[in-house]
Formats: sequence, structure tokens, C-alpha cells
Amino acid sequence: MIDTARPTAHPLAAAPATEPLAVAARRRDRSRRRRSATTDLLGIFAWISAAVAVALWLASPGSHSVVGIGGWLTDAGIVAGLIATDLVLVMLVLAARVPLVDRTFGQDTAIAVHRSLGKPVLYLLLAHGALLTLGYGASAGTGPIAETIALFSTPDMPLAYLGLGLFVAVVVSSLVAVRRRLPYEAWHVIHLLSYAAVLVALPHMLSAGSVLAAGTWQRAYWIALYVLALGLIAVYRFAVPFVVTVRHRIRVVGVEPIAPGVVSIHLAGRDLDRLGARGGQYGVWRFWTATTWWYAHPVSFSAVPGRDRARITVRDLGAGSSRLGRIRPGAFVSLEGPYGLFTSRARTAPYLALVASGIGITPVRALLEDTDLRPGEATVLLRGSDAQQQYLWRETADLAATTGSRLFAMVGHRARSRATWMPEEDLRRGVTLLSVFPRLLESDLYVCGPRAWSDLVVREARLAGVPEHQIHQERFES
Amino acid sequence: MRARAVVGGIVSSIAVLVIGWQLGGQPAVTAPSQSTTSGSSASGSGSSGSGSSGSTASGTGGSSVSGTFTGDATQTRYGPVQVRITVAGGKITDVTALQLTDHDGRSVQISQQAAPILRQEALAAQSASIQAVSGATFTSEGYTTSLQSAIDKAGL
Repeated sequence: MIDTARPTAHPLAAAPATEPLAVAARRRDRSRRRRSATTDLLGIFAWISAAVAVALWLASPGSHSVVGIGGWLTDAGIVAGLIATDLVLVMLVLAARVPLVDRTFGQDTAIAVHRSLGKPVLYLLLAHGALLTLGYGASAGTGPIAETIALFSTPDMPLAYLGLGLFVAVVVSSLVAVRRRLPYEAWHVIHLLSYAAVLVALPHMLSAGSVLAAGTWQRAYWIALYVLALGLIAVYRFAVPFVVTVRHRIRVVGVEPIAPGVVSIHLAGRDLDRLGARGGQYGVWRFWTATTWWYAHPVSFSAVPGRDRARITVRDLGAGSSRLGRIRPGAFVSLEGPYGLFTSRARTAPYLALVASGIGITPVRALLEDTDLRPGEATVLLRGSDAQQQYLWRETADLAATTGSRLFAMVGHRARSRATWMPEEDLRRGVTLLSVFPRLLESDLYVCGPRAWSDLVVREARLAGVPEHQIHQERFES
Repeated sequence: MRARAVVGGIVSSIAVLVIGWQLGGQPAVTAPSQSTTSGSSASGSGSSGSGSSGSTASGTGGSSVSGTFTGDATQTRYGPVQVRITVAGGKITDVTALQLTDHDGRSVQISQQAAPILRQEALAAQSASIQAVSGATFTSEGYTTSLQSAIDKAGL
């Protein structure tokens, strides 16, 4: 029915379908331990990077000669600034889509950490400014306002204040309440200002501060940190996507409406199997047409890419994606990715439970296609609000049949009576996650759907006692 | 898992900070006496490393250079910096700042804070190759440049 790309053999997926359970369990356990250890190690590195920044300052001449209250305030302000700058660079690394980060804890977790650092960093930067102003003022015997005016007339300081203002704008525009009201494009442009903020803050570090004074360890350390952070951004956000795009030359070959507001976009390119995309991963796609080039869409592969074919399936969730339905064949496509840990590589348990709602079926379908399964190993639960929302159900059912997986469907709007992820009818029949997936506690649970819905599924799984490492969630805003 | 990362991060950070504090606690420059004019005691307590450099210098430029030598005024973006050195028996016994960055209130303050540290470093090193003071980069650079020209004039 649909010209679907064929599954390909991944060189890394060495496990054959006949792999004994015990061997698979050992392999998954090893892989989980390795990922968990790497995650912790990266976290510890982040701590140490800030500690080294402060330690090098402590080791520099003059830092120990604290004089009076002004000296203490000044030193506290310097330390706040050092830690804040280090954390800003950590945030850049987290947003750089580094493959190691994506493989070990997932780009979405990295972005969650990036977000959680935003406000603390802003507070540290504000404290840096306030403490130094008060400290200088106390030492010179002037008030904070007079001191601020004096600082403004110091070279490079107006730029530093500009940088602080930009950081405030970036963080405020990212607050949940504000971001919801902003169009994505506006938020994105404001967010790009953080690069400017990092750069305009540099001169005052050179002149007023001394972290980059010639011939000091601090200079070597900070240059290394800046080169690392900005280098990772340059390589993985710009250079690698550019190379991928040029190498694979992806073009649209067909746009197939599969339901109202939902299209499958068929793509052709060179050596697409060598993208290394695994079932369940997504790419950030940009379609180079007059109306769509300015917006990059994060969209899951809805089938494992073949040698020269790939397919993605999109629902018009935002202003940008509704235009995707009108893309003409031949349009040039650039790709960042593939990204994501919603793959069989992240598995930790002997059984597999897949839950998908609406357009959330796309990674689940590709995951089912890309996993070596024993008969009875996997169980799939598909949910749609109504009969129209059964995107790709037919092919998913075919895949379930060929892999010997059980498939359940759940159709109907969510019950309004209470916070539940199920329709009223199923709720009344006494359906639970455990009744659908009797082996839930020995299963990896993969959930993909709208944020509010999938959070409810995951909450029930946690209450049922599913360990955290067995829960894999891919959410999108609905 | 998260707890392990946090605990590990805190423990290793504290270790790094303690090392940094220790390094800073023992200043790389062992400062001689604080008094400014007692030239004999200052030169007497000069460290052995600087003593050897002094002797090689005295071998070429005469064994007993003494007197005061004023360095060139160095322009920095925060104002001129100029120092004068007092030399007794081929050793720098005092460094006096004639002019320090005074562009604005903040610069004056920085200068006042940095000058004693730079002086101690210079007395210990017996040369102009001294470390810049944290927060006073331009003052430090001007100071060392002027100091070097003073040392050149003294022929040390």
C-alpha cells in the first residue's frame, strides 16, 4: 500500500533474533551500567569544571588578601561570576547535540538539564553584578548608584551590562508562561541572542577581571573551556549537519496525505541507510521551499530508512507544519540528526511494551520495525481519539503480525471524569496498564504521544512499580 | 544514579577547591619584610633564587649598584603607571609607585589594592617577570613595563 523503505541490517545491531534471553539480559545490563556511569561521569565533570574555575582564581595572587566587608562582597561577586560563566558554557555544551550526550542520556534529557540551569545561572549573574557593585562601593565609600554610574564609565562595562540584559531576555522568554504565548520563531530569535550575550561579556572579563590575563593558568583554562563549548556547537550544530546534508542529498519525492492534517513525506537520497538512523529516532528537518525554509521541524522517521528511501510522517501541530502538506516533490531537504534514545539500544528488560497515541505512532512503528523480537516479546497498544486518528495502524498491525507481537487498540476521547489516559469506556471495563501488559514489570515501556497524555501513562507505570530505567518517553506538545 | 553524580561532583569539587586554596595560601612569591626603607634587612632576607640572579647581574654591571632609578611612565587604558626602584648593593630593596591607574574611582581602588601585592612580588622575584594581580590586569601590565625600564636603567 505504501512505498515503505525496507529495514536494513545495522552493523551495530549484532544481536540476532535467536539471542538467548540470558545473553540479551546481560548485554542490556552492561549497556545500562555503562550509560549510567558515563552520565554520572559527565555530571561530575560539569561540577569539576566550575570548581577548577574557582580554584584557579583562589590560586592567583591577590585573591587571598580580603580587606573588610567590601573585599568579601567583591570576592563573592567574582566567584558568582566565575561559576555562572562556567555554567553558561555547560549549557552551550548541553544544547550542542553532542553524539556522546545523545547516546548516553538523550538529547531531550540534555535539554531538560539545560532548561533547569537557566534560572540559577541568571540569578548568579545578577548576584555577580550586584555583589561587585556593593563590594566596590563599600571599599570606595560610595553608594551603589554612584558605583553603578562609575562602572558604566569603565571601558567594556556597558557591553557587560548589555550581555546581562540579553541573558535576562533569553531566560524570561524561556519561562514556561512566556514561551507558551510566544511564536516559536520569536522565541528562537531571542534564544540566539545568548550567543551574543556570551560574546559581549568577554571584553569585561579581559579588562575589569583578570581571568584571561596573559601567562596565567586561568587564561589557559578559560580559553580551553570557550574553545570546547563553542567548538562543539560549531561542529555538531553546523558542520556535521552540513556534511550530512551535502553527502546524502535528500529530496522530497512525494507527499502523501494519510488522514486529515497528516501527511507522510517520502524522501529520496544517497546512502540513507548510512545515516545510522535507528527505529524510533528523529531528525530536525528543513525543507528548502519559499514558505518553509525558515523553520526546522523535529520529526520522527516513520520507517527505518532504506538505501535510497526514507519516510517521515507529520501532523500539523504548529504553524510551520501545516505548510508541509503543500511541499512539492523535488524540494531540497537538509537534516540535523538522527537523534534520540527512543530506540531498542536503550532497552534494559526482557519484554517490550509499546504505547502510542495519535501521531506518536511514528517512532513506535519504526522501533517495532527495527527491533529483533522473539514471538510474544512485544506488546503494542495504539490509541486514537477517533476513527480518523488511526495513522499507520494497518502497517503497524502487519509488523506486529510478522514479529509475533500482540496488538491492542483503544479508540475514543480521553475520559473527562478524572485525570486518565484512557477513554471512559475502557476505564469502566477496568483496563489498566497491567491488564494490557501482564509482564509490564519485566518490560521496557516506550510511550509516545502528547505530553499530558504520556505523562499520565508514565505515572501509572511508576505507581505499578516499573523501575525508572525501564521507562522511555518521547513527548510532543499537542 | 543522579545522587551518585551529585555526591561525586560535590566531593571532587571540594577537593579541587582545597587544592586551589592551598596553592593560593602559599604565595608563589615569598614576600620579604613589609617595611619599606630598611634596605639591609630586605636584601638580607631575599630568597636564594633571586640572590643568584643578582650575583650574575652584578658580575657584568658592577658589584654594587645603588641608588634610585625611575622607570618610564607606561600608558594604560586606565591611566599612566610609573614606578621607582631603590637599589642597594645590586638588589632591589623597594619599589615605589609614582603614578598608578587613576582613570576613575574604580581604577584608583584597584591600584591601591594591587600595588602592595605587585611590590611584594617584585621584591621577591628581583625582576619584572611577576604574575598579574587578579582584577588588576592593566595596572599589573603597566607596573611590570615601568619596572622593567627602571631595572634596565639600573643595569641590574
